[in-house]
Order: sequence, then structure tokens, then C-alpha cells
Amino acid sequence: MTTKQRIWITPTQVELNGTKLPVTAHGGALLTELYRQHVNDYPKFFKMDELSRLGFVAAELLLQAEGDRHSDTDDRAVILFNRCSSLCNDRKYQATIADKNDYFPSPSIFVYTLPNIVTGEIAIRNRYYGETSFYVLAARDYSFMQSVVEASFRDGTTRSALFGWIDCEDHDHFEAYMELVVQ
Amino acid sequence: MEELVLELKKQIIEVLNLEDVQPDDIDNDAPLFGEGLGLDSIDALELIVMMEKSYGIKIKDPSAGKDIFKSVNTMADFVSKNRTK
Repeated sequence: MTTKQRIWITPTQVELNGTKLPVTAHGGALLTELYRQHVNDYPKFFKMDELSRLGFVAAELLLQAEGDRHSDTDDRAVILFNRCSSLCNDRKYQATIADKNDYFPSPSIFVYTLPNIVTGEIAIRNRYYGETSFYVLAARDYSFMQSVVEASFRDGTTRSALFGWIDCEDHDHFEAYMELVVQ
Repeated sequence: MEELVLELKKQIIEVLNLEDVQPDDIDNDAPLFGEGLGLDSIDALELIVMMEKSYGIKIKDPSAGKDIFKSVNTMADFVSKNRTK
């Protein structure tokens, strides 16, 4: 398994293949800044929860670094991991149902109360029809994460994968570390 | 009615997170779903919640939504006739 591209996003900085990208915003606003600067053609971004926004912009920057867009394919997997699951959005949803006198469950927030939605968002954007999976771990374990991806390469279909750690505790505490790897 | 139409447009933009859309961008008679704003089924559910939260209107028959949410004008007409707040 060979790493072709890698990206690291925190609330204050972005590193693509080891090079810091110039950014001015912090926290959730940083993700919007990255979207505006580097993508800006996918309005559904604004409907996503913070975890999906994080995974989406990380994938977009990685794939732009790859060059020719490899899409409409079943040989690329999206395999992500984190610790907080969809907690950030779960809290937001809970706020819509916490007061019985102001009880208006939000359907658009509810649909993001699962962590694996982010893998679907990336697959839909790129028309990836292969494996998508999301694992919630007690702690980051890079060698375990690699072993999961290596197992996917043995399925006879997968030849490359977007994989990594996409964790979002709240608006100001998140981290994405994603790699584009090939068999 | 014009005031209600503008209010609805602002609410649609806010609750559906239509970040780059301004009220003036929404044609009063343009279809909200499919073409037009390109809203989806989750947006439809969010509009049903908005009707209850803002205007006290409970839409019990989901199939009625097709006519109510046809355009901003049809929404405004329905709200003006059925609102309880």
C-alpha cells in the first residue's frame, strides 16, 4: 500500500502533503473558507453537518492534489475512522427536541446523526460505487486503520482508497487526517 | 401578501441553509422542487416543520405538500388562509 497524497486539517491550520495552506479563519469557519477557496461548486456543502463538511473538504483537497479526477468508479474505497462518532451533530439534534414546549425535531439535522454519512457524501460527490465504511474507535490506532484498508484491497475490486481519521467534537475541536492510498 | 412572501423566502433560505441564495433570486411562481431551487425530500420535511413552528399549521396529509409547496406564492396563499399564529 502506497500513500499518494495526505492532508491534515485542524481548527487552525491545513497541511497538504506537508505544505501549509494559507488560511485566515478558525474552527468551523475554516471549513467554509476552504470550501469557498478551493471548491465552491457544490451548494450541498452548506446543508452538511460539521463532520461531513470536514471530511468533504479534506477529500476535495486531496483529490485536487491527485490531478485528473478519478470518478464514476467502483475501485476506490472510502474508509474513515473517528472517536466522537456523530456527537457534534447529535448535540445539535438534541437541542431541537430538548424542550417539550418547543419540540420541533429537525429532519435535516437528524439525517446527519450517523457518522458514516460523511463517507456517503464523499462517494456521492465523486460517484464512487465501491466500499464505504466508517469505524468508531476508542482511540486513534494508525496500524489498525491501515490493516482495515489493506483488508479491503484483498476484495478483488478495490485498487485505491481515501482513508483516515475524521473526528469532530464540536465547532472548535476537530481533526482530519486523510490519505489517498493505492494498492 | 407581499410581506408574507418576502418573510417566507427569508425563512426558506434560513431553514434550508441556502447559503448563496437571496430573496430576490427566488421567483414567486417558480417551482421549489426539481427545477427552480432544486430542493429535495429532506427539505420538504423541513418546510413542514417550519409551517408548524412559525405559523401553527400542522400538515397531516404529506401528499398535500405537493400543492402547498409548489411555489412561494402557493405557500403564502396556504399560510394566509390557515395560520393560527
